[in-house]
Amino acid sequence: MIQFEDFSFRYKSSEAFALQGISMTIENGAFVGIIGNSGAGKSTLTYTLSGIIPHHFDGDFYGSVKVNGLDTVEVKPEKLAQFVGEVFQDIDSQMVSSIVEDEILFGMENFGVPHDEIGRRLDSVLDMLGIRDLKDRQISSLSGGQKQKVAIAAILAMDPEIIVLDEPTGELDPASSIMIFDILRRLNREFGKTVIVVEQKIMLLCEYVDRLLVMDAGKIVFDGRSEEIVQQVPLFKNLGINVPRVVELGQQLTAAGLYHGAIPLDLDQAEKMVKEVLADAGV
Amino acid sequence: MNLLQYQPGESFLHKLNPVTKLLAVFLYCVACIISDSIFVELGLIFLMLIICFFAGLGKRALSLTKNLLILGGMMFILQLLFVRTGTPLLKIGSLCIFTTGGVFSALLLSCRIIATMLPMMLLFAITQMTDLCGAMVKRLHIPYRYAFIVTTAFRFVPLFTSEFHDIEDAQKARGVEYDTKNIFKKIGLVVPLVVPLLMSSLKKVDAGAMSAEVRGFNLRTVRSGYRDYPFAAGDGVCIALTVVLIIISALL
Ligand SMILES: Nc1ncnc2c1ncn2[C@@H]1O[C@H](COP(=O)(O)OP(=O)(O)OP(=O)(O)O)[C@@H](O)[C@H]1O
Ligand SMILES: [Mg+2]
Repeated sequence: MIQFEDFSFRYKSSEAFALQGISMTIENGAFVGIIGNSGAGKSTLTYTLSGIIPHHFDGDFYGSVKVNGLDTVEVKPEKLAQFVGEVFQDIDSQMVSSIVEDEILFGMENFGVPHDEIGRRLDSVLDMLGIRDLKDRQISSLSGGQKQKVAIAAILAMDPEIIVLDEPTGELDPASSIMIFDILRRLNREFGKTVIVVEQKIMLLCEYVDRLLVMDAGKIVFDGRSEEIVQQVPLFKNLGINVPRVVELGQQLTAAGLYHGAIPLDLDQAEKMVKEVLADAGV
Repeated sequence: MNLLQYQPGESFLHKLNPVTKLLAVFLYCVACIISDSIFVELGLIFLMLIICFFAGLGKRALSLTKNLLILGGMMFILQLLFVRTGTPLLKIGSLCIFTTGGVFSALLLSCRIIATMLPMMLLFAITQMTDLCGAMVKRLHIPYRYAFIVTTAFRFVPLFTSEFHDIEDAQKARGVEYDTKNIFKKIGLVVPLVVPLLMSSLKKVDAGAMSAEVRGFNLRTVRSGYRDYPFAAGDGVCIALTVVLIIISALL
């Protein structure tokens, strides 16, 4: 469980607070999505979970952040690393090895995972992300999307209870993005992992996450189930975040009096809606 | 092509334990340094080339030798002008340009440089940096921290150069002339690029350290390495042969 209590943070070198007045709880086994404009504080929020704030970035830290009951100010990052695995936004600079296999081994070796268990997990993440053929490649020779998969594999291999990902699909094509979210859903549902993912693609978030956080200027301005965004369209418009087009379509059809059901959130629901409207119109 | 780049392969040289490779290269260099005979030095260069051909690294070894010849040539000229033993060979007026002793010691020195550098550079062609460091941690119990610093430094060299070329291209696109022959002008153009480059590299190193930290870097012990790097019979043979080589070059 993760608990924020009236938490605020200001980077040492800056005037404004990067995060302000955050109070919330994330239960074990939650699947949380975070969206917001550039500079809203999404990455900063993820840093607090792995203890990078306050241990790596200096600044003013107010309130408290507790992960599994441990105050992140009091315990070292390597202690937190036993529960929290974080895939960072900047793919290149988080790499610590020159070869794909070494990158995936790194965390497991550090934690002293037993020898045969390492081999098993290595195979499992290589297959899970479909990167077995990259195993012996130099990381510098990979494409952005391939590197992103390696970075995710390296964290999943550590088998953390809480998986934090900062824009994990930024370099990926739509098919691979869906693959990543399918993996996250499986880890969440089958293995009870807590998943916290920063993502710009609203459609993916609506489809996969249970809880959506919208951030703006260091604050959480919306916190609720993704279905609730239907009522929040003005807020999203204000922030310049696109709502899924199917939501817009549903609202327009409702406003025009052609549709009376629930506003659709994904393509399947949208298809049903359109069929209904067409049937009503006698087409 | 980068001369220090790893070249994948399955040869008997590739398969040696990384620690053995390092020790063998060291012993080979000792053999080159203790010998005072130009013929032994030439023999050692030739032997190295033959070994490389059998390991499928012939092309690489030849191109390395070609590059080393330039270095050897430069050392030859320097040595020629500074060593003054023996009888004068070339005189302009009363000024002696070089002597017999100079020619001999210059030849010996440049051959020795080529003979020692060749195996050192080939070490990188047949060994991944991570394997070298991994084996030193596992077998020689070097602290992992140092091994990690070395591998990281090596990892950053290509990143650094590619970033440098990016900046250079950007400057060229803005009309800055880099193709100048004038070395001072070139230095004047490059120096302003180094500072932003260093800043961005430092940032990258810092982010890498952060990533290593949250992945349990500080918990690492010697025993936690996944790969074992065991020694095999071939490793013993290899070391024995290089020791024999030292004895031969000391006797000749
Ligand atoms: N290391 C740092 N030092 C000082 N200020 C920082 C640092 N990192 C981020 N900031 C500032 O903190 C604020 C929040 O940044 P953050 O990176 O968390 O935003 P973000 O929501 O992740 O944005 P993006 O979508 O661009 O990744 C920004 O105003 C940013 O300028
Ligand atoms: Mg960010």
